[in-house]
Amino acid sequence: MEVDRADGRNPNQLRPLACSCSILHRAHGSASWSQGDTKVLAAVYGPKAGTKKNENPEKASIEVIWKPRTGQIGKPEKEYEIILKRTLQSICILTINPNTTTSFIIQVVHDDGALLPCAINAACAALVDAGIPMKHLAVAICCCSAESGYCILDPTKLEEQKMKAFAYLVFPNSILSVLPEGSSLVQGEPMEHGIITSVTHGAMSVDDYFHCLERGRAASAKLSDFLRRSLQSKLPGDLSKAG
Amino acid sequence: MCREDGSSEVQLGQTHIMGFVTGQLVQPYRDRPNEGTLSIFTEFSPMADPSFETGRPSESAVELGRIVDRGLRESRAVDTESLCVLAGKLVWAIRIDLHILDNGGNLVDAANIAALASLLTFRRPECSLGGEDDLEVIVHPPEEREPLPLIIHHLPIAVTFGFFSSESLLVIDPTHHEEAVMVGKMTATLNANGDVCAIQKPGGEGVLQSVIMQCLRLASRMASDITKKIKDAVETYNTERALRKIKRHPTSITLDGSVNLKEKLNEPSGHNVVNELSRKHLEKPRLASAENASSPGNNGEGESKSSNFGRSSRRDGATSNFVGGAASWDPYSRGVDSDFLKASLASRGTLTPKKKQQDPTGERKPNESKPEESPGDVIPTTSAMDVSETGVHKGGEKTLKDAVKPKHKRKKKAFSSTADAS
Repeated sequence: MEVDRADGRNPNQLRPLACSCSILHRAHGSASWSQGDTKVLAAVYGPKAGTKKNENPEKASIEVIWKPRTGQIGKPEKEYEIILKRTLQSICILTINPNTTTSFIIQVVHDDGALLPCAINAACAALVDAGIPMKHLAVAICCCSAESGYCILDPTKLEEQKMKAFAYLVFPNSILSVLPEGSSLVQGEPMEHGIITSVTHGAMSVDDYFHCLERGRAASAKLSDFLRRSLQSKLPGDLSKAG
Repeated sequence: MCREDGSSEVQLGQTHIMGFVTGQLVQPYRDRPNEGTLSIFTEFSPMADPSFETGRPSESAVELGRIVDRGLRESRAVDTESLCVLAGKLVWAIRIDLHILDNGGNLVDAANIAALASLLTFRRPECSLGGEDDLEVIVHPPEEREPLPLIIHHLPIAVTFGFFSSESLLVIDPTHHEEAVMVGKMTATLNANGDVCAIQKPGGEGVLQSVIMQCLRLASRMASDITKKIKDAVETYNTERALRKIKRHPTSITLDGSVNLKEKLNEPSGHNVVNELSRKHLEKPRLASAENASSPGNNGEGESKSSNFGRSSRRDGATSNFVGGAASWDPYSRGVDSDFLKASLASRGTLTPKKKQQDPTGERKPNESKPEESPGDVIPTTSAMDVSETGVHKGGEKTLKDAVKPKHKRKKKAFSSTADAS
């Protein structure tokens, strides 16, 4: 079903993406990611000795600090920090540097919908910029579903508020395989079909949710392409920045 | 500089700071019932320096906040009485948030500039008294009535000096390496009129009186330079903002011009058109600027308007003076050189990903072109004609080039710098 979105996109269309890396000088890795008007800046400081009190010292730990645009830090920011931390924990290889802390600082520059996915994408790009070992990248996308059951991708803030329910989904990046066997299969399904993180707001039916998942997965292929392309262009220069 | 009212981004060498201004209606202080309030919050984000931590602000954070605050408040740079809506009941409380993103040294100066720039571009909604007895305050949303800028009397600019153990060695605008080894520092806040708003010399090595006087002289020269730069950047933002407003009311005569644009864009695939146009632009940037520069004032406006109708080639000519190198822009960079020491690394850094982006966006359907695209070159405000195009030429290119590209319509709004038609 075709629906009129305020900015003229069709339901499966993402906003223009832009990604830039290495924009800060002191941080070990930094990236800025924007989807349409939503822009997030992420900085990574590589492994620092010691872990926080309640963390397991046998693994590397991750610390996330979320800085909103204005105002005090409150519960929503804490929630974002926790979600981001768990997501990043699943992509970083934690056994490499035990008893260290890697810090992520996320600064919201502008929020026009799909803020958390934008932040996750920025954090991934910053991780690559810092050269921290990971199992695979992650791409995040926001899908919302409206009353009539159709779902749209990458909403703006107005659209998000109007929708009945929306979900932030994080998928692993599809692996461009060098070996002829193709991507690894986990129990018969390609790895890309797994979900790393899913956060939903509002109530939606199970069918709607699966519908959103499919749409999101399809779009994440485009996102991974974009991410891979923008990161690959940095490679030759990156060698000089070996932390 | 900024994409929206009340925000600014400053890059001073490697130091990178963002400022945001917001306003709220609150009750005034008891002892000042008809003055608004101004508060400054500095965030020493851990992003900027590994030694910064969240939680309680460190000494230097507090000191920075105090210096900027003193410069603005005590010198009465911001007119707080104009912020009063209903004496004794409701006034505007202006809050400035400064986020330090990258600590390359000399945070005070950069934070000061960020605060000033964002204050200059901030717009507060207009309020009027209504209801019974005129006691109810109605806040008009920006769509209804144009929001108002703050009244700022003068711009206090902070200039920091660093002293070293050798008597005659002094540096201006120290980097963080210099800060680590210097033995004393002094911050002088002056404005372009030559008034000294504040001086801060917190301890450190003793310095000769003659050296202090020399610093003040240097600082006053720097202050006028920096004031000019800030004013230029704000001017370009204001013109761009005015153009954006015109976008919101497409009932103006620009519609005809936009039709031309649409037709041109729909012929081949959007991507190719962009390349064609950008090539054309590259070829004749000077020509158009010469043409446009020769028509100052209101007449110029009328001329460029009428010339745009019906002749798309002229349109290209008009737009072309804004497009220099196709490679030199970052659509999402909000940074604009607001200081002569700025390195503009942000925009350069995004060079390649922007190019890459052109490919995937080819896959996505281009957004339908909006009539708002066209007025970029058509309706410059008269003030724009006089604004020097030196400082922000690069920025101007972005806006117009963006106007031509079908895909990245959003970015037109994203551009800080103006479509300066002159």
